[in-house]
Formats: sequence, structure tokens, C-alpha cells
Amino acid sequence: MEKCMITFRSVTPAQRAEQLLRRAGVRCELHRTPRYLAQQGCGYSLRIQSHQLEQTISFLQEHQIPYQKVYCGESMEAFQ
Amino acid sequence: MIYLDHGATSFPKPLSVRRQVQDAMARCGNSGRGGHGPAMEAARTIYLCRTAAADFFDCVPEQVVFTSGCTHSLNIALRSLFKKGERVAISGFEHNAVTRPLYAMGVETVVAGRKLFDWADTLEQFENVLKKGVSGAVFTHCSNVFGYILPVEEMAFLCRKYRVPFVVDGAQSAGCLPISLRNWGASFVAMSGHKGLLGPMGTGLLLCGDTPVPLMQGGTGSRSESVEMPSFLPDLAEVGTMNVGGIAGVHAGLSLVKRMGLSKILHREQQAAERCVKGLKQLGYQVFSGAHQNGTVSFVPRMDCEELAEKLGSKGIAVRGGLHCAPLAHESAGTLATGTVRLSFGHEATVEQAERFLSVLTRI
Repeated sequence: MEKCMITFRSVTPAQRAEQLLRRAGVRCELHRTPRYLAQQGCGYSLRIQSHQLEQTISFLQEHQIPYQKVYCGESMEAFQ
Repeated sequence: MIYLDHGATSFPKPLSVRRQVQDAMARCGNSGRGGHGPAMEAARTIYLCRTAAADFFDCVPEQVVFTSGCTHSLNIALRSLFKKGERVAISGFEHNAVTRPLYAMGVETVVAGRKLFDWADTLEQFENVLKKGVSGAVFTHCSNVFGYILPVEEMAFLCRKYRVPFVVDGAQSAGCLPISLRNWGASFVAMSGHKGLLGPMGTGLLLCGDTPVPLMQGGTGSRSESVEMPSFLPDLAEVGTMNVGGIAGVHAGLSLVKRMGLSKILHREQQAAERCVKGLKQLGYQVFSGAHQNGTVSFVPRMDCEELAEKLGSKGIAVRGGLHCAPLAHESAGTLATGTVRLSFGHEATVEQAERFLSVLTRI
């Protein structure tokens, strides 16, 4: 199953997203954002299954949780 | 020992608080500074407390900033809102944690409302000052000396009416009175983590309705490439390594307060305080009491207040004498020259504690 990564500017919004997504039944994992993807250095990201991406993004928007970018696939190409 | 100095800090800390602090020190690394287990555990520990506090004080988690204490919180709030030469309304019962930063900043303060336990007077005086025009307002939720609970909801309403930004000092109310950042519409609400919230000393919270200006700059674990501080909460105001153990303790204390319930805690404290008031009056002391009072009582002794506090301490009753870092409140009550002896009850207050105090007092 392809994975996607949603990056956040700091740990708190990433944690808030993780908590709310898990409550909504979306499986996600909190990690440090790889350095080559971290905009402006140091950040946290959530890894999710790609089939739940659309649901996740609309969920984040609905709860006004700011995220930075979405990367998908083996090469982690910028998706959004 | 009967400890009646909860206005200074809660004591002894509940077992659950002590255990959580100890546990956090064994589990946690530095939050936001890595992806390994101990760092993530620290981040999780802080986040759990942040969400619990947000839920309890009616705001979103990002609006909860952890500080080293209420004084730290107030300094951030005051320096974010006001600047030199501005006029700011304050109540007649403010602590030095409010008056000293404002003085140091060159802010002119206008004292509004000096009558103890009189909501009508407090509101009338406060509105009169707001009408004349001020840059903002700062008021305590509850006097640390006299236990006077100010009509903060109505004062907040007046501030919104006159479009005046305001700060509430919740040092003595968090943990015994309801606080709602959302309903009040405050720019900031400052509080201790170690008094009514039962956490360890060295902890405080700042609820941010507005964006604060950081007092310090440094590492936040975010936007590391930039020489500028992050512009977003809570990172903006949480600089350097956080007090994870202390925050874990605040979370345990907050959980205990939630389980007990604010109304039950306040009722217990008030019952014990009322017993003291009655007994002190019977003994002929000048006691300050009235409607809208929490579990804190001040009285003027017939000897030096520090001397009496020391004598009580030597007989196992821990109270505080003096000015309680709030000369303005004493000026308002007319006790600046004498000071008072303050009894402040905590979440486990009992009428028996009050009676024991009275019994010891009569023998001095």
C-alpha cells in the first residue's frame, strides 16, 4: 500500500492532527520530517495510507489544522 | 502541620502529581528535538497536558502556552499588549506580578475599584475608567490577599463593549473557579500551574487569545533555518527546553481537579474559610470577609503579623503574614501599614483544619 506524508511546521499541529485523525478512524504515524523535505528546517509529519489522503486533507481543512505539504509514493514527490 | 498557605503554592503535592513528575523524568527526553522514543514521549506528555488544559479552559490546544509560572505568563502578556506612555486600567487588588512589569515598562496605571467584596462598586468604577479611554485593562480574577472574587465575566463584557484588550490574572482562581478564554474574549489569561492546579512549582500557563510577543528568542524545534522566531503558537512563546516533568505534574493535578470538580473544591475551601471568619470575629479580630470570597481570608492581628505567623508556624500552623506581594490590595483595604495574616485553604480543606487553627490561635 502506497504511503503519503503530510508535513507540519511544528510538533503541536502534527500532534493535534494525529489525535483527531485517530479518533476519526484514520490510521496515521507521527515522525520527524526527513531533512530533505523539511521546509525551513525541523518539522514533524504524519504518514498515512494513500487511499485515506483525500479524507485526511478535508479533515485537516475542516478542523483548521495548518499543514505544509503532502508527499506521496516511493520517491515522496510533492503532491500538493 | 496544618498548611494554610495554598495561595503561595499547594502543599503537599498529591501523590499522583509526584508520581507523574517522577515517571516523566524516567521516560522523557527533550520534546520537539528529535524523533526517537524519549523525545516523542516528551512531546506526547506535553501534548496531553496541553489538550487537557485547552479543554478545561475552553480554548484550542495551540492557545495554551507553558511557562515557568504566572509571573512569567503575565510578563509575556503585558509586554505583548502595552507600551510606554499608555494608560491601563487595573483593579485595586493587583499583585506585584502585574504592577511591577507595568511600572518597569513606563505604563501609567489607573486603579479602578478598591472596595472589597462589592461587585457593584467594582463594576461602576471599572466602567468609569474604561469610558474615559485606556489602552487596555488588567485585573485579577481573585485577590491573593483577601480572596475577593472579582466579577470577571462582567468586566470582560465591559472591555469588549469599549473595545479594550484585557488580561486576566488567574493565579488564585485556576483550579477553584471556571475560566473560559473563549467566552471572556480575553487577550490573555495567566495562571500558575502549582497553586490550584496542584502541579509542581516552576510551572505556569498562558492562554493566548491574541498573538504574544516572545520575551526570549531561541530554539523551538521548528523553522530552524530561520533566524526569526516562529510566528505561530505555541512555538512563538515556548522557547528553549521545556519543563516536561513539571508539565506532567500539572496534567496530573489538573486531572485531579477535574475529578473533584471546581464547585466541590470551592465549597470545601469556602466552608473552612467561613469557619475561620466566624471564629476570628468571635475573638475580636478585624477580619475581611464578604460575598464573592473564595477560601482565602485575611485578618489583622493584635501583634505584628509576621510575629504571629511565626508563632503559628512554630505550633504547626503554616500561614503567611505581611503584604503578600500585593501592596496595592493592602492600600485598597487600608492594611498597608499593618499587613495581614492570610489563611488560604486548598482542595482538601476541612472545617476541622479551621477549628484547629482557631484553637492554636487562642493559646497564643
